[in-house]
Amino acid sequence: MIECRGVSFSYDGVAPALDGIDLNIEEGEFFCILGGNGSGKSTFAKHLNALLQPDAETVCVNGMDASDPELVYDIRSTAGMVFQNPDDQLVATLVEDDVAFGPENLGVESAQIAQRVREALKAVGLVGFERHETHALSGGQKQRVALAGVLAMEPRVLILDEASSMLDPRGRKGLMKACHALHERGMTIVMITHFMEEAAEADRVAVFRAGRVAMLGTPDEILTQADELARLNLDMPASCCLGRALRAKGVPVHAQVREADMVAEVAQAYTERSEAGTAGQSSASQSEIADGAVPADNEDNASEPVIEISHLSYSYSLSARERRRWHKRSAAEGASNKQTLWGNDPSSPWALRDVSLTVCRGEFLGLAGHTGSGKSTLVQHLNGLIRPQEGSVYALGLDLVNKKDAAAVKAKVGVVFQYPERQLFAETVAQDVAFGPHNLGLSQAEVARRVASSLARVGLDLATVGDKSPFELSGGQQRRVAFAGVLAMEPEVLVLDEPMAGLDPAARSDFLGLIDRLHRDGLTVVMVSHSMDDLANCCDRIVVMNEGTVFAEGTPAQVFAYADELKSIGLGVPAAQRMALALARADVPLRLDGLYTVESLADELADLLIGCSDGSSNVSDEAESKTVAREEGC
Amino acid sequence: MEAFSFGSYYPGDSTIHRLDPRTKLLLGFVFLITTLTVSSFRGLVPVASFVVLIYAVSRVPLRRVLSSMAPLLAIVVVVAVLNLFSDQSGRILWQLGFLQISEGSLHSAAFMACRLTLMMAGMSAITLTTPTLDLTAGFERLLAPFACVGLPAHELGMIMGIALRFMPQFATEMKQTADAQASRGARVTGGPLGGVRMLGSVAIPLFTGVFRHAETLSAAMDARCYHGEQGRTRLHALAFGRGDALAAVVTALLLICVIVINLQLV
Repeated sequence: MIECRGVSFSYDGVAPALDGIDLNIEEGEFFCILGGNGSGKSTFAKHLNALLQPDAETVCVNGMDASDPELVYDIRSTAGMVFQNPDDQLVATLVEDDVAFGPENLGVESAQIAQRVREALKAVGLVGFERHETHALSGGQKQRVALAGVLAMEPRVLILDEASSMLDPRGRKGLMKACHALHERGMTIVMITHFMEEAAEADRVAVFRAGRVAMLGTPDEILTQADELARLNLDMPASCCLGRALRAKGVPVHAQVREADMVAEVAQAYTERSEAGTAGQSSASQSEIADGAVPADNEDNASEPVIEISHLSYSYSLSARERRRWHKRSAAEGASNKQTLWGNDPSSPWALRDVSLTVCRGEFLGLAGHTGSGKSTLVQHLNGLIRPQEGSVYALGLDLVNKKDAAAVKAKVGVVFQYPERQLFAETVAQDVAFGPHNLGLSQAEVARRVASSLARVGLDLATVGDKSPFELSGGQQRRVAFAGVLAMEPEVLVLDEPMAGLDPAARSDFLGLIDRLHRDGLTVVMVSHSMDDLANCCDRIVVMNEGTVFAEGTPAQVFAYADELKSIGLGVPAAQRMALALARADVPLRLDGLYTVESLADELADLLIGCSDGSSNVSDEAESKTVAREEGC
Repeated sequence: MEAFSFGSYYPGDSTIHRLDPRTKLLLGFVFLITTLTVSSFRGLVPVASFVVLIYAVSRVPLRRVLSSMAPLLAIVVVVAVLNLFSDQSGRILWQLGFLQISEGSLHSAAFMACRLTLMMAGMSAITLTTPTLDLTAGFERLLAPFACVGLPAHELGMIMGIALRFMPQFATEMKQTADAQASRGARVTGGPLGGVRMLGSVAIPLFTGVFRHAETLSAAMDARCYHGEQGRTRLHALAFGRGDALAAVVTALLLICVIVINLQLV
């Protein structure tokens, strides 16, 4: 279907972005391209539908030479492409107009366009959305509209350029489901991704590095090579990590790239063991481990709350009078069924509803929830950007209803918003970082000191980057500068909204390390994320939001025990916990709390399968096992 | 994130929604001229009934209409105040130095305010009932005859459509940036100099955002085979129907009413 022979390309004529790529993608194949940021994957994708022309050699799509200007539109309608950002690839205000954009350009008859629009929307599960406005859709829905827009051109190849990277778990799942359904109907799919779990489902995987194909093969061949992947700034799927960890402990299993296969293999191993009568017992150490699962340092600091939120409600659409009327009406409907009434109503005008929450000094609090669950509104309350309409927020002893206090607290509670590098504006890095301290009215010397120290805290050197324009830096460095800009305010509490969004696996673990260091240096950290694996690895406590209310709260072990409930609100559990649950369903007698990191699950399984007793010592030091798991990037 | 609502489309399936966008644009133009020629309160009566009729048929909720007009009301206030202090005649009601209000100026301020509000309500009806892409398509077709004198009608239409599509997007992004800078201690009210600095810290990220979006959007349009007007078809081909004729008749009636009243024939 697609043939590339020695394709080379350079944006500036000096540094090659692609350096002799040889790849053949077969008809009907699900092909996955992995690689760190800047490895040339996106550049390559743009060659497949003639958005870019190779400097040397050729790309052939379905027998058509992509460098032939006559064939450009044939190639683009044969190989359709979905881009990364849901916000800037839709052209029209209404869904149906956007889906029709491609066929309209191809000059298809009106009646046939209508037919194609209907079918494309059906294929992505958006029937009934024809007259909806595109900007009001969720990210996942927007990406599916973009997919429908491509399908309406009736392509034979679908190229997804990190199309799922900016979506929440629910949106990602919907997009993947649509892609797999298309693949089953014979569509050739080329998917560029950072997510190893997605790559594990592919027929073949190629790993790019510096514009070359570094590895090529089936997922089983590629994704199990831990050292090689680490060198390429990637990590293994969690199931492979588990497999390797078990092997390292002497359990004779193979690392499987798919979770289901890994679970089946471990279950099989257990059955064989128990038939032979040599299976170990895990129940002996159970109570001890369950105690260890509660982080010990939590209790030391629990006494001093830094942010206290009680009975906070917020509505964007209701005026004060309407809010009072709402209360009266719901009081009349009976106080007992309040929670279910508000919790399940999607048309609820409340962004936050009766939220009570305490952040303690020195803790690492995780805030989970999908898009629209009220997380962002809650974050804006934490430093007084929004003042509470009902209920109260006290931060560091200041009542944020009070306008003056709300302004004062901004210096104490630093918020790093999503994609913070997009808010950089000054001529030089140093000036940008100085913006906050400057606004605080500090002396020149103090501002200079803070700029230097905050840049050092994020691992940048004032002398080398200080005078550069922030726009010259790489994406990861820009984000570090934005972090420094908030740290320069010398906050006591750091609130991070999706700090790892859009980063490749290597940069992700760098940033997790950075945040962990800041936490250990004494900052109280609140991290918003929908990656349950990240939350599981770093947080002392997790709060799950759903439809504006607190859905669950507790230690990771306590929260992840509610796997089914979390699933029902569109959130996942960490991969390790997911595998533990699947194993339990396959009759492996595992206890289910506290198995949310690959390390702890591996220890537990090793106990069961070979009956070795060193498991307890590993799990007892919770903090250490967490750090280990994080450093491995699993 | 609250949706940005100025002038944006209210989905529906009324007769007004189904009118050809060209009809709406042309009749909107006629309505504008008609309203401008009205010279008395009496003349505003048919205009007001026309506006009420349109909204009744279109079934756009009053709340939505008001929220879409709210940003424009500032203009009404400014014009009314200017009139209040300029167009003097009749008995003087109030005076302070060179400022004065007379019966005549009060009358003309009230008249201007009503006329402008009705004009805006009428024009909002178009943007509330027409998706932007249809609006731009109608605009493009109406301008098509001027293409022979070198007017890039299609491109203008496309530019307008994309601008309207990205308006809510940029509103959201600007809010986010302003929030982020406010979290770093930027004050919204900090004297004129502070205001200018605040502008820079919000405007620069906004502009870099515009360029970033423009780059991907153009690639995305390219990838979907956009190559200008040539050989392009449309999902909903524009066609005049019975509703359009009816709308034209109703607007003509309005015009006649206003002319009759203006000439004081009744």
